[in-house]
Amino acid sequence: MFGFLKQVGDYTKDAVSASQNIARGLSVTFDHLRRRPVTVQYPYEKLIPSERYRGRIHYEFDKCIACEVCVRVCPINLPVVDWVMNKATKKKELRNYSIDFGVCIFCGNCVEYCPTNCLSMTEEYELAAFDRHSLNFDNVALGRLPTNVTTDPAVVALRELAYLPKGEMDPHGVDPNRPRAGKLPEQVLADLPKSEETN
Amino acid sequence: MSTAFTLDLETGFRGLLESGGVSPGISRLIWLPLPMLLVLVAAVVGVLVTVWLERKISAAVQQRIGPEYAGALGILQPLADGLKLLVKEDIVPARADGLLFTLGPVLVVVPVILSWLIVPFGQNLLISNVGVGIFLWVALSSIQPIGLLMSGYSSNNKYSLLGGLRAAAQSISYEIPLALAVLAVVMMTNSLSTVDIVDQQTGAGILSWNIWRQPVGFLIFWICALAECERLPFDLPEAEEELVAGYQTEYAGMKFALFYLGSYINLVLSALLVAVLYLGGWGFPLPVETLAGWLGQPIDAPLVQVITGSVGIVMTVLKAYVLVFTAILLRWTVPRVRIDQLLDFGWKFLLPIALVNLLVTAALKLAFPAVFGG
Repeated sequence: MFGFLKQVGDYTKDAVSASQNIARGLSVTFDHLRRRPVTVQYPYEKLIPSERYRGRIHYEFDKCIACEVCVRVCPINLPVVDWVMNKATKKKELRNYSIDFGVCIFCGNCVEYCPTNCLSMTEEYELAAFDRHSLNFDNVALGRLPTNVTTDPAVVALRELAYLPKGEMDPHGVDPNRPRAGKLPEQVLADLPKSEETN
Repeated sequence: MSTAFTLDLETGFRGLLESGGVSPGISRLIWLPLPMLLVLVAAVVGVLVTVWLERKISAAVQQRIGPEYAGALGILQPLADGLKLLVKEDIVPARADGLLFTLGPVLVVVPVILSWLIVPFGQNLLISNVGVGIFLWVALSSIQPIGLLMSGYSSNNKYSLLGGLRAAAQSISYEIPLALAVLAVVMMTNSLSTVDIVDQQTGAGILSWNIWRQPVGFLIFWICALAECERLPFDLPEAEEELVAGYQTEYAGMKFALFYLGSYINLVLSALLVAVLYLGGWGFPLPVETLAGWLGQPIDAPLVQVITGSVGIVMTVLKAYVLVFTAILLRWTVPRVRIDQLLDFGWKFLLPIALVNLLVTAALKLAFPAVFGG
């Protein structure tokens, strides 16, 4: 008799706690209804890529010495360095250079190790193409500068959360000249004690 | 219910025709398709609004914006979706059973639309005051799993088959507690007619709504209705993570649109029926007779009739859409249950509780016939 009652009691307790949990969940979702959207309305608004963003690689043909370090440090030996030895001057003569961004993983090793700094990372990330072969950039395409989000009149540039001024949570309508929260690297350097700097 | 409070469009319309020299038979023939067409249009518009609400509310819950560019606030997005589905290629998969494959979605949609027959928006604002109204709905909603099973079986796809089987199992499991919950209400009303069920709730405004007398029945009915509509947390038949899209997997174009339409018409219908069965249907929270009395207006004046009729329609739709809103909010709150949990919940929890609810209602009806309908 009492065993049965205990079962019924446990059953009821379970049901009540389940409905309480559902009510708690509903209050959370209901609360979200009044919050501002956090999404970026992409083709009309774009986030400013962060510092050290690893986008499409930029290449300066004239600086390149055809040393092929970029090929050696690349995980898949991707850059194609087309050079010939000029017998007369006993120097390498660079003819073509290309990187296939359909294959590149944007690890940045080539940029890291390039002895003449002729490779650099850009903030360009819109690499969609109808044909994957059109992603194989030659030295002319690699030398083009990417369009800048902040200077594009058709785009509202938004700062990422870490780059917003102190206290700001919403990137919309923030004055672009207000500095971000925290110190910039050069400010940190200036504030360091002199002894450390002289090392 | 006093016969004074009636906005009877049929009598008015046919009277107008017959005074113009039309025979009664012809005037009836002219009248008949009008409410059907109106309700069909209302159902489709209701679905469009529900789809838009679903997308907008889902977006708001997830802190997104949702459809924005098709019309003001994306209000035309469901129309664009429908148009897209309309012009899409109609594909019947290889080695599928063409006849059953086509019949499946039809068998799902037709009973749902047919069920709108019994949804009252006012004393005389329904297609047909069938004597067995709510029973007709329960019977019609049992046809749906046949269509689902049919489309799942004929698709020649394992996911479709599993989805169809799940849909059938789920519908059968939740039909029973649903019918028992309805039975308790019917017992209190002494009638299966939806109009009588609402009439019995109109005595004292919000206080006489069935939800106060049948709180458990209300919850059971709402849970079962969600399960019947295959809404989350009970959307197992089309659980996209497990079954791609369940019985809809192989469907495209207009046949898929029929499933889509059917599921949303069913949702709106279920919400309307919850409003009718438990939330006083077209009743205003204060009885309109009392309100008219305070304003010193006779209840059977033509203008007051039109106003009360409109208030009735607005109240019915408002109550239904509050419930649709809860269903959408629940979708983003509650995780999907497993199939064994689903069947356990239906058979081991809802069914006994619905039975106890029915017995308690019967006992209360015997003990307090004044409150629980003698």
